[in-house]
Amino acid sequence: MKQHLAKKEERRAYLLLVLPAVLLYFAVIAFPMVFSIGMSVSDYSGGQIFGGSVPINYVGFSNYTRMWKDQYFWISLKNNVYIVLISIFGQIPLGFVLAYALHRNQVRRKGFFQTVIYLPSVISSVIVGILWQTIFSPYGPFTELMQYFKPGWENTLLSNPRTAMLPVLLVMLWFYTGTYFIIFLANLQKIDQEVIEAAKIDGASEWQSLRYVILPALSGVIVTSSILAISGSLKSFDLIFGMTAGNPARRTSVLALYMYDTAFRGAPKYPLANAISTFMVAFSFLLIIITKLVEKRFGGREE
Amino acid sequence: MKIIPQTIADPIKEKQPRRKKNLVQNEAGIVSRLFFGVVLSLFSVLSILPLVWLALSSFKTTQEFQMNRLGLPLNWFFKNYLFAWKIGNMGTLVLNSLFYTSISTIAVIFFSLAAAFAFAKIKSKATPFLYGSFVIGILLTIQSIMVPLFLMANTVNLLDTRLGVLIPYVGLGLPLGVYLCTEYVKSIHDSIVESARIDGAGYFKIFGVIILPMAKPVVSTLAILNVLTVWNEFMMINILVSRETLKSLPVGIMKFSSALSSDYGKQFAALVIGLLPLLLFYLVFRNKITEGVSAGAVKG
Repeated sequence: MKQHLAKKEERRAYLLLVLPAVLLYFAVIAFPMVFSIGMSVSDYSGGQIFGGSVPINYVGFSNYTRMWKDQYFWISLKNNVYIVLISIFGQIPLGFVLAYALHRNQVRRKGFFQTVIYLPSVISSVIVGILWQTIFSPYGPFTELMQYFKPGWENTLLSNPRTAMLPVLLVMLWFYTGTYFIIFLANLQKIDQEVIEAAKIDGASEWQSLRYVILPALSGVIVTSSILAISGSLKSFDLIFGMTAGNPARRTSVLALYMYDTAFRGAPKYPLANAISTFMVAFSFLLIIITKLVEKRFGGREE
Repeated sequence: MKIIPQTIADPIKEKQPRRKKNLVQNEAGIVSRLFFGVVLSLFSVLSILPLVWLALSSFKTTQEFQMNRLGLPLNWFFKNYLFAWKIGNMGTLVLNSLFYTSISTIAVIFFSLAAAFAFAKIKSKATPFLYGSFVIGILLTIQSIMVPLFLMANTVNLLDTRLGVLIPYVGLGLPLGVYLCTEYVKSIHDSIVESARIDGAGYFKIFGVIILPMAKPVVSTLAILNVLTVWNEFMMINILVSRETLKSLPVGIMKFSSALSSDYGKQFAALVIGLLPLLLFYLVFRNKITEGVSAGAVKG
């Protein structure tokens, strides 16, 4: 009898403890997710969703076809790929080099370097965007700096559709390297110093211990960072919104901004916007799975 | 998904013992030390130079800025800040940001920890499904639920209200919160909870007296991550709120990007005001923050 009561109390406690979190999770994340997929195959055009006067029909994948045929979708997707590439070939290696430099060399003022290098990362990305837009604008300091070396240089970086993405990528390098730097630094400190010392005693050079001891030990972190880069790219919105708003001629748009413009600028096209966001979710899962497969194939040297 | 554990040594406190090196290694050491020193210094300068430039320029009048874009201000013009503060409604913006950030952070911590306690210490058949849902949620991004959230908020009349901002903020913070807390509570010994049960303590008492005080490390990690995310969040609040009196700092600052973009002095002052709160937060809690960021790196 007593045991029965205890069980009952246990169940009641469980329910009350998880209830707030579960309710909020399903209201804010799970339901909207399903809602979004549902709407992406409908012809909903605004107005009341339940019991409205305009019936909502199932239209199959026509929104996805529309997206596929839209040139701005491809421009945005291409820019997202550029952002992933600059992360993987820019932020991640640079972040690693900086972390390694700080870790291996007993540089004085370690704390100072760490604080300064991570500092840009805590600023709101909208503010970063506005700041750099001014820096790169024709009236900004970048023009003056360039003209010092090359008199008469005309700054069309941000107004020329072909080059406008370049400054954006540079700013991302400036803004996000700190995050990878911190991740690498924390994980470098977890590698057993004695293993490295032992390698040194066995005659391994700095380069060899880096290549055969440290990098293999970090392969998991490199994969995590790549996943971070992929989902970070798909998330990128604020910085570009503040810096270029996707212009000139929407040439610096990214998928998130393309989705936003579709849904909230001009006549709202909610189903199309939901098709875009559903595609983004599927795409990021796909990329993450590929990254994990690559890790399985080439990595796994941590043991 | 590979998870970076939360136990991260304090990068600054942890000093390495000095090692003896032979002469050859020392010479190679000097070269590489010099090289790495230069790389570090160079990148550090590049990191803060734009911000130093911004701070200096914020003390120039717009006229002066057009003549003197790179140098020190000739006349330090402090009134930019006064104007920016007034035009931008900065007082309201800062208070709103403080409100959204603090309330949502407290709620996320409390709800996450409560759920984590149940998931980790009370046996139930529902746990794998529920906990699994939260973990999957970590991978989702705001934009994938943006449009539905907007339409739902519209349907239940929560557009342009504080509650309509807070509910999604709490909901979006939960997946990572529940995950970090559950992993942490799991590491607390079962025997502590069991002996308290035998002594006749109810679950809520155990939660308040044992789990909450013991969870300090994970609470501070979570608090930091949530403060950084919510304070800087822009996309969602920009959609959910259009009344000036409800905007947060990042949304309010956008005004200086379009309408006032050529009034440089005020724009720069506004940007400085906008970045100061988090910069101070960072400088005060920098070790905790870098620790928390690498612990939360799982959030992909």
